Amino acid sequence: MIYPEQLGFQSIHRIGLLFFGLGLAVMVLELVRRDLLREKYALLWLITAGVGLFVGVFPQIIIILSSLFRFQYLTVIVVGALVFLFGLVLSFTIVLSRLAERSRRLTQEIALLKHELARLAKSDDS
Amino acid sequence: MGRGRLGRCKEGFVVRPRVLVIVPAHNEEETIATVLSNLRREVPDYDVVVIDDGSTDKTAGQVQQFPDVALIQMPFNVGIGAAMQTGFLYAVRHGYDIVVQCDADGQHPVEAIPRLVQCVLDGKADLIIGSRYVADTCYKPTLGRRIGKSILSRLVDAMIGGGITDTTSGFRAANKNVFSLFAHRYPDDYPEAESLVLLHKNGLRAAEIPVNMLPRQGGRTSIKVSHGIYYMVKVALAIFIDMFRRYTGMSRKGT
Repeated sequence: MIYPEQLGFQSIHRIGLLFFGLGLAVMVLELVRRDLLREKYALLWLITAGVGLFVGVFPQIIIILSSLFRFQYLTVIVVGALVFLFGLVLSFTIVLSRLAERSRRLTQEIALLKHELARLAKSDDS
Repeated sequence: MGRGRLGRCKEGFVVRPRVLVIVPAHNEEETIATVLSNLRREVPDYDVVVIDDGSTDKTAGQVQQFPDVALIQMPFNVGIGAAMQTGFLYAVRHGYDIVVQCDADGQHPVEAIPRLVQCVLDGKADLIIGSRYVADTCYKPTLGRRIGKSILSRLVDAMIGGGITDTTSGFRAANKNVFSLFAHRYPDDYPEAESLVLLHKNGLRAAEIPVNMLPRQGGRTSIKVSHGIYYMVKVALAIFIDMFRRYTGMSRKGT
């Protein structure tokens, strides 16, 4: 049995991860409560917080991963975080593109409706 | 008129096709009135709609002096692609047969519009481009613009199988098949070039005829030199992706 501490994974790191997970979860729940964050995206952040907590409680997972990929344990965390952030940003740009397309349509509809309204008002006058 | 495919209905009576001239305008207060009065004089039978793309000057006021010209005002600047698409939507909803695109800066020779429309009616192609380069015209673009446009033109021309020299010209006439496709899907930046690829992918044909472009009558070009390269790369990428797109036109999600 390899203890995480032997590879430099100190209890302070575990405490840090636990605080990170708990803090994130509390923050996300508070944001949802204040209607600043939609549940759909809150779930994503709660899962992230859950992963942080899980690793804090069971640091062995990091050790297993680091021996699997032959990385230092810190590298596993950094690479994991980078991959996660990469996926996140990509999904944001997808959402953004969809919103842009919709706002373009809405803008066009508004312009056409405004024109129609002005035309009707004018024909009413005459 | 009577010779055209669209110019004749089943019973053999000649019906006049309904033509809409779309004039996209962004801060063109100096030139728009001249363009509109030229349109009224040269093509009085055609309806005209100005798409005011969030102008901050008196463009809209100038247009309102023409009571028979329709004015559609975008709430803010949406870009030439989205503005033109608003015009195509308008044409679809009001049942027009032919749509002409003509710039508000006075570069496009209004008197050539009937010739463009006639070519579409004759079925020469689904979209007819008024081209700057086909014959001798007095149009002299700047060097940077010429290089950028010629690279883009070559690319588009190669992709759609040749025959078009001026792929970025915004002086065009199109039939219903074309503008109903464009109403569903139209690119954002430099839409003219990419839209030709879209047409090609959807089995529609484009052709060009020579026209004499005039120098700008006023205002400034909407394309900044520093953005030229960025746009070129972006449009080239968009065109490249279009070639591999499975769904074009009608089936795009969210529209």
